Amino acid sequence: MKRILFILPLILPSIIYSQPNCNVYKMNNDEPCYNACVLAIEAERYQWAREAQMKFDEAVQLCPKLDYAYMEKSVPYLKSGNFIEWKRLIDKAVDINPLGRLGYRGWCRFQFIRDYEGAIKDFETLDSLTRFDIGYSQNGDYQLNIAKALCYKAIGQKSKAVKIIENQLAQKGYTPMTYDYLHLGVLKMETGDTDGGIEYLKKSISFNDYLAEPYYYLGLIYKKKNLTKEFKENMEKAKIYYLKGYKRFDPYTHPMDKVYLADIESELKSGE
Amino acid sequence: MRYGTLTFILLTTLYSCGQTQEKKADYPLQIGDIYFNSKVDDPNFKLCNEDRVFQYFNFGKGLLYKGEKVKINEHFRDRLKNKEIKDESGFLTIRFIVNCEGKTGRYRIQGMDNNYKEKAFNENLASQLLNLTKELDGWKVGEYEGKTYDYYQYLTFKIENGKLIEIMP
Repeated sequence: MKRILFILPLILPSIIYSQPNCNVYKMNNDEPCYNACVLAIEAERYQWAREAQMKFDEAVQLCPKLDYAYMEKSVPYLKSGNFIEWKRLIDKAVDINPLGRLGYRGWCRFQFIRDYEGAIKDFETLDSLTRFDIGYSQNGDYQLNIAKALCYKAIGQKSKAVKIIENQLAQKGYTPMTYDYLHLGVLKMETGDTDGGIEYLKKSISFNDYLAEPYYYLGLIYKKKNLTKEFKENMEKAKIYYLKGYKRFDPYTHPMDKVYLADIESELKSGE
Repeated sequence: MRYGTLTFILLTTLYSCGQTQEKKADYPLQIGDIYFNSKVDDPNFKLCNEDRVFQYFNFGKGLLYKGEKVKINEHFRDRLKNKEIKDESGFLTIRFIVNCEGKTGRYRIQGMDNNYKEKAFNENLASQLLNLTKELDGWKVGEYEGKTYDYYQYLTFKIENGKLIEIMP
């Protein structure tokens, strides 16, 4: 039992976000839902097409409890900026399967819409429904408590964000994700704890030295401390890394704490 | 007989209310397609291939704009005059096509309130955002394996009490 409790949080995200196993319906002699499930999985492969959308409709008519079909149907609306239709559809998936879909909806509200309050609400509701880990973001970059912390940061509650990240990093068995230390370092810097900022930004570099961002923010801290040599060294390194393509990137949106070449160049110019 | 008819109507109404039926929508060929509308669109704006318009993220390079997103942010923050527009909150999305020459057209607007419901934004604010979007001239062409393509792009403006807070994506 203990082993199951240990393994479940680790595999929960893959259970939640993967395709459903249609055979479960077959085993339960639920032919309509089995057929709907097969139909929805097929439609997912070309979900932007009219035919796919019609198949999703057919699937939910056959099996109204098939949250997977609503979720997959909603995706092109999200990615094309039609958030009204996306929300209408994803709400249906959440109504049917809150435990499985709240984390996803919350993440999308954060990633695509910057609806921070809405995302926090989803993450916290999900947390209240389970005693296990609340899972990971759809792109695999974040444990959702870290994403929640970034939402609190965005609405100005930075100390709370620091506490959430520190708490998550202290969780037994938690393996830090690629950007956890970067965000914590930036938050420390923004809340006036420059030494804490340096500590975590350096930790971010030790953990993953393929990012311009920690060098950029370290540069800002050294600038504030009037350490000109360190400021320049870090900003120059940030620029080199940026030009090599070592930077935060998301094909759909712009991640929080991402820096741009213009930001780095403007800092370098200010230090001349 | 009258009671029978009434019962039938009531039952069918209740039955249809209970269905989890998705609307029988008139879907475009691909979700998000913007077709030419002679009433609002510039006839001189041409696509390379009307049947094959990509999404901006299909090229795997994120937002394709010279100077990156900071340039877009600067463009709106420097030019938007929203001091007189208060009590206006929500999200305004402007979607359009960047053609294979980097020119833009077929603009469409959708306003949304904070509860994800359709919303008509203050006309002054909406038209300013639309005109400023049309002024953006740094769109890069979509390229893949040496060929250039048309693609869809959108900008969503997060507005709080008349102030522009963020621009997505």
